[in-house]
Amino acid sequence: MSSLNAIVPMACVTAAAIAAMVAEAFRDPGERMPIAGLGLVGLVGAAIATVLLWNHNTSSFGLVVADDFGLFVTGILIVVGLLSLAISGPTIDRERLPAGEYYALMLFATAGMMLMATASDLLVIFLALEVLSLAVYVLTGIRRESPAATEAAFKYFLLGAFSSAFFLYGIAFSYGLTGSTRLDSIRGLTASQAPAPMQLLAVGLVLVGFAFKVSAVPFHMWTPDAYEGAPPAVAGFMSTGVKAAAFAAFVRVFLSAFEPLRGQWSDVLWLIAAATMIVGTVVGVAQSNVKRMLAYSSIAHGGYLLIALLSANDVGKGAVLFYLLTYAITNIGAFGVVALLDNASRPNDRVADYAGLWNDHAALAALMTVFLLSLGGFPPMAGFIAKWYVFSAAVKAGYSGLAIIGVLTSVISVFFYLRIVVMMYMTPSNTPAQFPAVPKIAGAALVVSAILIFYLGLLPTRVLDWAAASISAF
Amino acid sequence: MHFPILTSLIVLPVAGAILVLFVRGDEEQSAPFVRKIALTVSVLIFAETLLLWSRFDPSSADFQFVERHAWIPAFGIQYFVGVDGISLLLLVLTGFLTPLALLSSWESVHEKTKAFSIFMLLLESAMMGVFISLDLFLFYVLWDAMLVPMYFLIGIWGYDRRIYAAVKFILYTMAASVMMLLAILGMAWLHLTTTGSYSFDLLRLYDLKVPPHLQFWFFLAFALAFAVKVPLFPFHTWLPDAHVEAPTAGSVILAGVMLKMGTYGFVRFAFPLFPEAASFFSPALAMLAVVGIVYGALVAMVQPDMKKLVAYSSVSHLGFVVLGIAAMNTQGVQGAVYQMLNHGVSTGGLFLIVGMLSDRRHTRQISEFGGLKKVTPHLVAAFLIVTLSSIGLPGLNGFVGEFLILLGAFRWDPRMAAFAATGVVLSATYMLWMFQRVNYGPVTNEKNTRLADLGRRERAIIVPIIALAVLMGVLPNLFLRPIEPSVARLVNRFHQNAPAHLQVDARPSAIGHQPSAISHQP
Repeated sequence: MSSLNAIVPMACVTAAAIAAMVAEAFRDPGERMPIAGLGLVGLVGAAIATVLLWNHNTSSFGLVVADDFGLFVTGILIVVGLLSLAISGPTIDRERLPAGEYYALMLFATAGMMLMATASDLLVIFLALEVLSLAVYVLTGIRRESPAATEAAFKYFLLGAFSSAFFLYGIAFSYGLTGSTRLDSIRGLTASQAPAPMQLLAVGLVLVGFAFKVSAVPFHMWTPDAYEGAPPAVAGFMSTGVKAAAFAAFVRVFLSAFEPLRGQWSDVLWLIAAATMIVGTVVGVAQSNVKRMLAYSSIAHGGYLLIALLSANDVGKGAVLFYLLTYAITNIGAFGVVALLDNASRPNDRVADYAGLWNDHAALAALMTVFLLSLGGFPPMAGFIAKWYVFSAAVKAGYSGLAIIGVLTSVISVFFYLRIVVMMYMTPSNTPAQFPAVPKIAGAALVVSAILIFYLGLLPTRVLDWAAASISAF
Repeated sequence: MHFPILTSLIVLPVAGAILVLFVRGDEEQSAPFVRKIALTVSVLIFAETLLLWSRFDPSSADFQFVERHAWIPAFGIQYFVGVDGISLLLLVLTGFLTPLALLSSWESVHEKTKAFSIFMLLLESAMMGVFISLDLFLFYVLWDAMLVPMYFLIGIWGYDRRIYAAVKFILYTMAASVMMLLAILGMAWLHLTTTGSYSFDLLRLYDLKVPPHLQFWFFLAFALAFAVKVPLFPFHTWLPDAHVEAPTAGSVILAGVMLKMGTYGFVRFAFPLFPEAASFFSPALAMLAVVGIVYGALVAMVQPDMKKLVAYSSVSHLGFVVLGIAAMNTQGVQGAVYQMLNHGVSTGGLFLIVGMLSDRRHTRQISEFGGLKKVTPHLVAAFLIVTLSSIGLPGLNGFVGEFLILLGAFRWDPRMAAFAATGVVLSATYMLWMFQRVNYGPVTNEKNTRLADLGRRERAIIVPIIALAVLMGVLPNLFLRPIEPSVARLVNRFHQNAPAHLQVDARPSAIGHQPSAISHQP
């Protein structure tokens, strides 16, 4: 049985997802069920399993490895899942969404993400990618009456399917050359051979697949539309969970299987990272919708993560993990505030809608400020430490150019984060926007996020050490 | 185990802010209570800084009251604080100005008093932290963190164009300082490659031999951050906006303390860390400083708005400070440090007085006033003393600093000193001209006939300023003595590492080898 240990976390989440679906099927119309509680149980189970598996380096079927790197990402995904559950409640009530399906899809997606973070075989990574993508496509369009949501889901689905095809094609080429889909065998074989053109094609195709999922430029087009159309809670979930899972696999594949070809792909990745940071911030400045602005911000943050990946030294790998964690907490927090301001009659998601929020909802405005300043990289918030970690990896690896682009774009990004702060604090509201009351659980989740942001910003040592320790696996 | 007095300077304001946060009740009920808490906390901190001064050993050049704890050990980052002669009095100045700034907003800030007090206290905490950090990482964290409360102070409680000014302030200063972050990382990386471990410890980095080409870039990165903060011409464009739009308390802190962080940064970080590059660039810096002195003075002269006039006068006065630092001899640097304090007192005082006038009339246009001497004699008397102190009248504080700076500059490069000296004349011109237009002559504007003279609260604000201005002018030794050993060591170390700097004034000079012309008088 011990060979199954590595999949226990995702099994817990999957079980919770199935239970949620069954509960929904047996629910009388109008009956209220604590379905989110099932998700909570599943995620806590996964958390316990993750803690127990820590430092054991177990693997199941030779395809899933619960090494510390994968477990750290699993931990991030659990945090993402818990926070997303907490901020989803109000949206579900207001939009009268099918709670069971919503939570089940969210949990299935989480299970897929966990699998993606721990898979050590290209085909399993592809499988995980599809599991999480399908669930997220549906979540994006779960507000069926809304044309925008349907359009977003459809766009996301079509482009996503395209990129999956690229990814699969890349796997096929790689298999054709090496005769294996296992990351360690591919690495062994590529290291012993001179790079063949076919192999570069394989790497390129796989790169396109990943770049799409982490919304790197020029494969980012779907991101703003999908985030805008999706309910804010889902947008928060997909902007962090999908990114964390995809980056985990990205790191694993490129820094193990394709590591011998580094000389071939590093320049391409350099360009992608620079373009991602620049496009994300520059276009972000022009947005008047908060969700679209956060979408471009998340594109830009993908660029910083790419710097860390590219640096690929011990600091860089740790930086990916720490950055993903702080980014996950912060971004879900920001989308959480958007979700809580969402009103049945109007979405309140334009920047102008935030005018005078301070007067109506001082606490929400303060929380949003913490999240935005952390995204902008202000100390003493976690976002600063995360960026600092990434830039020190870049300086150490000799990518000073990327580091300079990184710091400059982060200054530009401050401009649009501050636009919301200006609205909330310094602009009187013309029409008193109808802001709903804040539900307790969601509010508490946001407060916890803010506390975590300060904790990670002021006393990051422990988590930094975990992140540094967990990349020793490869 | 000593009482961690330096840490308490950072922690106490934060604790005060948290206390204020939990005050219940609406604006009417909570505001008086909140104001008193904030004032009490800031007075306590001032008392602490005085205690610090009294316990400080003025004969030592070393860092005192040092506290050192591991913070992020994997990267050699420490919580490392200490104070020497250069930072000691800047702490006292910060402690001195914050209660006055709070008092000045006692009545003019009547909305969101709670948030205002919180931001003021957080700002004080970060400013104290900047002056005591001896770890580059800690320094950068506080340096950046400081911007946020100031941004809110300008943006929420400022005047008409406050949002523009606030955003410009934060973006300018942040854009300038991110390059410094990379340079700091570069220094830590250099320490890693030469010694095998990361370190952000300033004292260790002082000993690091930085290769010349890296010195060049690192110095530029640091200098950009500090030059914008000072602000050195041509990086000063954010300052008139920020100063004019900020509420009085914000202007006082901005001019009184935050501008000094730029010049402090040159003294503490940019020059000693990269001596060769600093020596290479210091003629250029001095040139910009001199241009700033003259340009700031000329632009100040034509300002119709009193606050803007004082803002441009800061550009001019801070130019003197940079000139003194660029000279890198004992007189120059000592004068620069002293002038930082002077400028804090006199410009802080000027902003407070302009704030009082603006509270009365809700305008700061010089043309709106005239003949105030007959209406508000006490206010005008205070105005006069502060104006004279800003001009640098002998017997008041401004004189000593400017004199030392010009002396130091003359020893280094007489041409610079000659041009800079015109700034002294110009400052008398624009200041006195403004003073004359506001206070003398007949009362031309009907609205000015019934202005109230200084109230009790305002006396409590302005009397300490005047007392300090006189004290600093009459007994400069009291202040110069603790500064001197640290400055002397800084200068000696600099010349050991950058011998080229001395060649500019290889000429023998009569005052050449006395460490300090003034502080050695009995």
